[in-house]
Amino acid sequence: MAAVIEAHGLTKHFGRVHALDGLDLVVEQGEVHGYLGPNGAGKSTTIRILLGLARATGGRVSVFGQDPWRDASALHRRIATIPGDVALWPNLSGGETIDLLVHLRGGDTKAKAYTDARARLIEEFQFDPTKKARSYSKGNRQKVALIAALAHPAELYVFDEPTSGLDPLMESVFTRQIGRIAEAGGTVLLSSHILSEVEKLCTRISILRGGKVVESGTLTELRHLTRTSFSFERDGLTDAQLAGIPGAHDLVLDEGRVSFTVDSDQVAGILPSLGALGVAGLQVAPPSLEELFLRHYGDVVDGTPVEAS
Amino acid sequence: MYGRLLRFRLRRDRVQLLVWGLVLFLMTYTVGTEVRTSWGTAAERASMVKVMTVTPAILLFRGTPQGTSEGDLMALLGMSFIALLVMFQLVFLVTRHTRAEEQTGQTETIASTVAGRLAPSYAVLTLALIATVIAWVAITLGCLANGLPAGGSALFGAGAAFAGLSFAGVTFLLAQLFPASRTVNGWAVTLAVVSYFVRGIGDAGSTIHTENLTATPLWITWLSPIGWAQATRPWALNRVWPLALGTLLFAVCTVVALAIQDRRDVGAGVMAERKGRPAAPGSLLGTVGLALRLERGSLIAWIIAVIATAMLMGSLAGSVVDQLASAGGGAAAMIEHFGGGGPIVMAFVNIGAVFSGMLASAICVQGAIRLRQEEIAQGADAVLSTAASRAKWMLSFLLVAAVGSIVSLVLGGLVAGVLSTSASGGFHTWFWAIVWQIPAVLMFLGVVAVVFAVLPRATAGVGWAVFGLSILFGMFGPLLGMPAWTSKLTPFMHVPAIALPHPQFTGGWVMVGISVVLVAASVLLFRLRDTKPGA
Ligand SMILES: Nc1ncnc2c1ncn2[C@@H]1O[C@H](COP(=O)(O)OP(=O)(O)O)[C@@H](O)[C@H]1O
Ligand SMILES: [Mg+2]
Repeated sequence: MAAVIEAHGLTKHFGRVHALDGLDLVVEQGEVHGYLGPNGAGKSTTIRILLGLARATGGRVSVFGQDPWRDASALHRRIATIPGDVALWPNLSGGETIDLLVHLRGGDTKAKAYTDARARLIEEFQFDPTKKARSYSKGNRQKVALIAALAHPAELYVFDEPTSGLDPLMESVFTRQIGRIAEAGGTVLLSSHILSEVEKLCTRISILRGGKVVESGTLTELRHLTRTSFSFERDGLTDAQLAGIPGAHDLVLDEGRVSFTVDSDQVAGILPSLGALGVAGLQVAPPSLEELFLRHYGDVVDGTPVEAS
Repeated sequence: MYGRLLRFRLRRDRVQLLVWGLVLFLMTYTVGTEVRTSWGTAAERASMVKVMTVTPAILLFRGTPQGTSEGDLMALLGMSFIALLVMFQLVFLVTRHTRAEEQTGQTETIASTVAGRLAPSYAVLTLALIATVIAWVAITLGCLANGLPAGGSALFGAGAAFAGLSFAGVTFLLAQLFPASRTVNGWAVTLAVVSYFVRGIGDAGSTIHTENLTATPLWITWLSPIGWAQATRPWALNRVWPLALGTLLFAVCTVVALAIQDRRDVGAGVMAERKGRPAAPGSLLGTVGLALRLERGSLIAWIIAVIATAMLMGSLAGSVVDQLASAGGGAAAMIEHFGGGGPIVMAFVNIGAVFSGMLASAICVQGAIRLRQEEIAQGADAVLSTAASRAKWMLSFLLVAAVGSIVSLVLGGLVAGVLSTSASGGFHTWFWAIVWQIPAVLMFLGVVAVVFAVLPRATAGVGWAVFGLSILFGMFGPLLGMPAWTSKLTPFMHVPAIALPHPQFTGGWVMVGISVVLVAASVLLFRLRDTKPGA
């Protein structure tokens, strides 16, 4: 069976801007797929193409084996989505908007399954559905889109930076919801520029840069590409002893502590030599996605944590 | 900080300010030219003013008779609606820079910087003053360009401009009260229109001094900023002191508003937002339901406007035409212009019908422009990301506009027909003359929809330009001496003129056909392009 989303050599040009530049992306059935990249990398553009709102300049793309541009409205019966920039009709209430969007997706707003799910989500997100949309804050607008997407089941969920504007408590509610979808066998494409979010939620990750996917795989696969960092107390160990540790990179001696990194697939090999040195206060930090990210964007973001916009 | 904010806003608004100045100049100039060319002699002007003094319904829309010089006629015909225009300009300007910015969060960004809480407001108020001066200069120049005396011209400009200024104050105050910019605009525009009609009632009921064709309006006129503008009586009495009333209203509103603003949170209003429904009613579920809900307010307003116009035309037909005919001179000539040689009362029916059609076409122009507004605001993307197809989304909005304009014309035709007597056209003529405007009106829907599909960013500009030019060519073209082919460009010249001899029905049916083809083409063309949210 074909993958849920398949894109090969996808390009999208806006005049001279090449927003997508030969993008390959495969999302399999049942995956929670993290789509990671800094602002301007082309995440929203990809999603607009997957939803048939924009047409690819070149390349091939299919969703459930169909053409997202030609078969848009048929496909959308199977897709729930949250746009990157949630805008609502100012004089509709939040509750009205949720019902309208679900109805347009083909949901029956009178069905008990729906009204129950809706009530539960409103409760969990602590959302007031009676306010006019114009008076909602950014976070509350985001909740409208979230509830509309989650209250009626879909086969594929396409979320463009779904937690922007949510406070940490609400983020955890969202995390639970993604867990529920994954359990039920749904497929999720989750675009984000927040590493911790993707790290927590996703089974596979594609990293996007300059309109291309530069890295794609499971978190474990990607971790093999990184290094694990070690540190311990120096405690009178000589420079020569330290230089003898096999496979250590970036050795730093600082204020009585020693730190270095090791290729992640060599970690087991190094432990005996540390034991032989009798090191004290050993700390081992597994590679974070952030490091992985920085490897690809180090020059763009200049080493600062990549949460900035 | 104040200076930086002011410069920033001036830069953002410079084109708008310039265009507005130009529009006001042209409007004033056109009225002046009309006065000069249509009622060139003192005798013609006297007969015109005489007609108006016995026709309160005309005074309701125009002003206070103040004599028979060219300037007096200018003040009578032009002051009230030019003042209303300036008021609208300042209402939108102030709302845009106060509540609208606050709503989109721009104010929070500024308020959290070193700018004082009130610095943005001072910058907006200064901008309003600058806009007032621009209006003043533009209108004064419009008068001077017609060779009117300088003192009166400056006072005419000041009267209209200060009416606008007073409403800048009113809007600034309303912006403190209501949390949504739409509500602020809605209230301010309503109050402006009310003040137009308050002075209208005063003028319609005024005491006429027949010896010199002047009038003293009822006291109620003094409640209206437009009434104050008229009270300057430019070219006749040249009174300056009524300008102080507008200034005072501006000052009082501003002081109160600043006091409120200093005490409230950014984003909050004094009046709470009304609650909405917790769940959608069945009528909202669907794209037509959505379009209807979004258009409802403006649709009702336009339909009432069309009915009111038709009603006025239908009920006035008898008396106005009699008086115009007996008064002779320029006024009758004006009507005859449109008559195509038929009896004068039928010419009046024809004008009334075309005028109703023009108003109704605004419904279609606005309805098609709504497509673009929805696209900008991403309502389009939200709907098109669901199972609703592009054709369904587009046709829903177009359908609501089409049905709205058709309903307005059918109701307008019924009302005008019922109110007219057999001497002033009769039911049959009025009803069908107005209903046959429908093909012309639908043309606007088709044209603007195609522009939306092909050149989305130009939708509003082209839409209103097409609308404005059709009116200009259709209504005023002959008066302004434009070549005959220009009036052939407007759809209204191709509807069967039921009131006149030998109506041509082909044109009507052809336009219905063209409209359907244009709408179908627009749907197909829209399916070829990306949606383009964001202005
Ligand atoms: N409609 C458009 N016109 C021109 N450029 C665009 C348009 N949409 C996106 N872009 C450009 O394409 C690039 C990718 O944007 P986007 O997909 O929104 O990135 P992301 O969602 O990852 O932040 C950016 O450089 C952006 O400026
Ligand atoms: Mg984006």
